Order: sequence, then structure tokens, then C-alpha cells
Amino acid sequence: MSNIEAQWIAEAKTGDKDAFAKLVEKYQRPVYSVCYRMLGTPTAAEDAAQEAFIRAYQALDRYDPNRSFATWLLSIASNYSIDQLRKKKVTILSMDNETYSWMAPPDPGPSPEKAALEKEKQALVQAILAELPETDRAAIILQFWHDYSYEEIAETLGLSSSAIKSRLFRARRLMAEKWQEMQIVSATPKTSAAKRIAHETSTI
Amino acid sequence: MKHQQFENWIIEETDLTQEEHRELQAHLNQCSQCLALYQTIHQIAHLFKTTPEPIPEPDFSGRWLVRVERAERRKNRFILGITLGGISLATAILLVGVGFQLNSAAPGFTQMLLNMVTMIANWIVFLNQLGNIAAPLFRVSVKLISPVWLYTFGISVSIITAIWIFALSRSRTLQKEI
Repeated sequence: MSNIEAQWIAEAKTGDKDAFAKLVEKYQRPVYSVCYRMLGTPTAAEDAAQEAFIRAYQALDRYDPNRSFATWLLSIASNYSIDQLRKKKVTILSMDNETYSWMAPPDPGPSPEKAALEKEKQALVQAILAELPETDRAAIILQFWHDYSYEEIAETLGLSSSAIKSRLFRARRLMAEKWQEMQIVSATPKTSAAKRIAHETSTI
Repeated sequence: MKHQQFENWIIEETDLTQEEHRELQAHLNQCSQCLALYQTIHQIAHLFKTTPEPIPEPDFSGRWLVRVERAERRKNRFILGITLGGISLATAILLVGVGFQLNSAAPGFTQMLLNMVTMIANWIVFLNQLGNIAAPLFRVSVKLISPVWLYTFGISVSIITAIWIFALSRSRTLQKEI
């Protein structure tokens, strides 16, 4: 953690919301990304990410400075998303159901074909993740998109390393089965996208 | 080596030694099931790594500030509601307790209520009579005292009140800053 970050945390602990807003600015992307991958829609992700930051702000006194602030934040975001999935049973919607213009990749002007492929990929990712139980999904997200080790995932989700290892094993196997099913059945756009991506990988 | 061990290596994407890697390659050449699994795992990893990161709408932290203010207001209202509710409950319990005590002390509750009403009525009559005596005195004193003194008195009271209000608001601001 940088000195300036430690200073923001110290100021936020005294009730300075503007100081915490700087931390929100810095960590908004990883927190939002975890919430989005967990819940599957921009609206639910925005809501969960905002709530995670509010909970972090309110629980700042309990934050241990020896621990990574990012890990602590992602722990709050993951657990909140897991709770949301369990309580509300958030429906994983298709990417076609909402407007995602702002979610386009940073590329200033992607071609329509590229944009369509990116959209298909997002839908496919969410379709695969939706097959996993909540905690396994969180573990997969932290491993793939945040490069967390078994120990870091265990710390984030409050489980043992061996439990995480077995959950990841089970989740990866389940994802592979789902993917193979998509390869066999090619009736829907999602499955045809899976085939295209499989072809893309084979040519690398 | 058994098939299961190779499957575990593939699923876990274990870091293999050169020797283990050769063993795995040899097994993949013989086992179509493991080969399909190997390809699948790599395809999923490729998909995950090449899918763009979802990003929040602009001014996320601005929206957070608005939301946290709202959450704090809601929390304060909740605390205030709980406090007032508690005070009301305590008052109600106290009143009921006092009522029971008085009821047991007095010959009857109705009699006690009647006594209270009589006492309040007596007080009103007393204050009214006091007013009848004080009113002519006030009228005479206004005529006797010079208007300059009355104005001076009024202005002094206003200035003292203004200074008092200013000092009170200043002390509140200092408390917040501390």
C-alpha cells in the first residue's frame, strides 16, 4: 500500500468521505469487475459495487492495515455479491437485454464485427459463470481476472486453502463440461460463439 | 501413470517439470478424452483472458458520495427513531407506574383526577387575579418611565440576544471541527 493510500485511509477513518472517494476512484474497476462477473448485469454490478464501498467505508475501523486493502475490498464485494445471489437469486440476463455502449472495450473505434464478437464473448463468459455455485464462481473470478493465489482467494472468501483448491477443481471441471456441451449443441448464438472462440484458440 | 493424474494436471493447469510435460504429451497422443479436456481448458482460459474488463459508468465515485450521504441520513433517522421510540416507551411505562402508585395512594383514581382539575382551575384563577393587579401597575410605570430608557432597554436586550446566538453557533462549528 502506498503512503498516499495509507493517508487517505487514515483521513477516511476520521469521517472524511472525500478521502474515501479517492480510494473509490482508485479501486472502482476491480470491485465493479468482480460484481459484474458475479451478478451478470451492469445494473446489479453498479448497485453491488456501490454498496460494497459503503460497507467498506462503514467498517473502516475494523480494517487491518497489515492486510492488502485491495484484498479486503474484494472480499467485501465478493461476499456481498454471493449474499445477493443467494437472497434474491439474481437472474443472469443475456447481454442483449440491456444497453452496454459504455461497457465497450477501451479501443476508441472497434469495428462492428469486433464489437459484436466482444459482446458474444461477454455473454458466453457470463453463461459459463452462471453454471457455477456462488462461492465457486467468486473463486474462479478471483483466479482468472485478478490472478489471486489459492491463499489470497482463501483469505478473500474466508475459507481454507484446501477448500479453495477443491472448489476450483470442481468449478473448472464443470466449466469444461458446459463448454463441451456448447460445442455439441450449436443451435443458439451463444454456442456458435463458443465454436468460433474454440476455432480462434486452435489457430493461436 | 494413471489417467486420473493427467486429468488433474490438465484441470488444475499444474506447473509441470519437463519430464512430466513429456509424459502428459505422450498421454494426450493416446487419450482422446484428455486431449478434448486439455483443449477445452485452454479455450476457456483464452476466452476469459481476451474478454474485455467491464468498466463502470463515468463518475462512479460521485455517485458513491451521494449514496453514502443518503445511507448516513437513513442511519441517523433510524437511530433517532429508535431513541424516540425508547423514550416514548420509557415514558409510557413511567406514567403507567406513577398512575398505579397514585391510584393506590389516593382513595380513588377519579377523585384524584377531580382534585387535579380543581387545583389547575385554582391556579388559573390565581394567575388571572395576579394579572388584574399587575396590568394597572404596568400601565402606570410605562407612563412614568421615559421612552428613551425603554428603547435603550429593548436595544440592549436585542444586542445581548444576538451575541448569545452568535456565540452558540460558533461553539457548535468548533465542536464539529474538533
